[in-house]
Amino acid sequence: MAIINQATKELQVKIVYYGPAMGGKTTNLVQVHDHVQTAAGNKGKLVSLATSSDRTLFFDFLPIEAMSIKGFKTKFQLYTVPGQVIYNTTRQLVLRGVDGIVFVADSQYEKMAENVESFTNLDENLKTLKLNLSDIPYVLQYNKRDLPNVAPVEYLEFLLNNRELQVPSFTSVAHRCEGVFEALNMITRMLLNKFISQGSPQYA
Amino acid sequence: MATLPQLIEEDIARLDEELRELLTQTDATTALVIDKGGFLINSQGDARQFDLTTIAALASGAYMANQTIANLVHETNFNSVYQQGEKFSMFVVCVDEHCLLALIFKASVSVGVVKYFALPAASHIAAQLQIAQDRDPGAGLDLSELNLADASEVFKKKP
Repeated sequence: MAIINQATKELQVKIVYYGPAMGGKTTNLVQVHDHVQTAAGNKGKLVSLATSSDRTLFFDFLPIEAMSIKGFKTKFQLYTVPGQVIYNTTRQLVLRGVDGIVFVADSQYEKMAENVESFTNLDENLKTLKLNLSDIPYVLQYNKRDLPNVAPVEYLEFLLNNRELQVPSFTSVAHRCEGVFEALNMITRMLLNKFISQGSPQYA
Repeated sequence: MATLPQLIEEDIARLDEELRELLTQTDATTALVIDKGGFLINSQGDARQFDLTTIAALASGAYMANQTIANLVHETNFNSVYQQGEKFSMFVVCVDEHCLLALIFKASVSVGVVKYFALPAASHIAAQLQIAQDRDPGAGLDLSELNLADASEVFKKKP
C-alpha cells in the first residue's frame, strides 16, 4: 500500500496498468513519459523489461513526482503488467502493494473475451493478495477507439463496468495520447481522496 | 494485505544509523531499505551515481520473483539474492514481511563480508520496524498537510 513517510513528508503511491495483451498498457506509460509536464528531475526514466519484440516480460516502470500537491512530496510509481496469459505469476508480483488500477481494455470486438478474461484474472489475483477489487480505486480505459472494428462503449460498459458500484471510464487512443491523462488524473484523484477520507492504516 | 507501521523521525534516524554503520563495516557503496512492493524507504551512501528509485523497484521485483521460484522448488524461501557484476555487485536480504535490505558494493569487495554484516543489520532494522509497529499499531494516515486544492489535474500534458 502507499507509503506515507511522516518523517520526510513523502507520499509514495503505486498505480498499476492492467489489461489484456497488446491492449496499450505500455503505450500509456510511454505517452505519460513523453508528454507529462514536470519540474526538472521529477520524472524518472521509463524502464521496460521487455522481450526483443517489445512485448512486456516482467513490467514497465515509470516514477514521477507530482508538482501540484502541496504539503507532501508526492511520488507516483506507474507499473504495467505483462498481458499474456502465461505470465500470471508475474502479474501477481507486480500487483503487490498496489494502490490504484487503470484497466486498459482493447475496444476491438474480437478482443472482448480477452478483456473479460483479464478483468476476471485481475479480481482473482487481487484475492490471492488478500485484496478486494471493490476496495481498490480503479478506472476503465477503453483503448484503440480509432480502429474500425470497435465495439460500442455501452457494450464495453455492460461487460466490464456492470458491478454494484460503477467506476469512471474513458475512451482513448493511447498512441495519440488521447484519454491517457484523463484516466491517470482520475485514478490519482480517487486515490488521494480515499487516503484523506478513510485514513486507513498505512505506514512509513 | 498487512501494512508497515508509520515511521517517525526517530525510526528514520535509527535506520540511517544502522545503514551508515553497515556501509562502514562492509565498505559497500550504497545501502537501501526497500518495501517489497517496490518503494524506496530509506538509503545511505552514494545516491548520485545510481537511480535508487528504479533500483528499488527492480530489486524488489527480482527478489519476489526468486521467492516464487523458491516455492516452485519446494523451498520455503530464498532468504537472500546475490547478483555478481564486474564493477558492482548487489546483495538483497529479507528484513521482515514487508521490507528488504539491499547493498550495492564494488565487485572487489568480498561478498562473504557483506553477508556477514548484512544479516545482523537486517535483524536490527526488523527490530526497529517492530518498535514502530508496537508504538501505534492502528495508526492512521496523517495527511493533514496535504493540499489538494490545485490537484484537479495532478498530471498536466505538455501543450
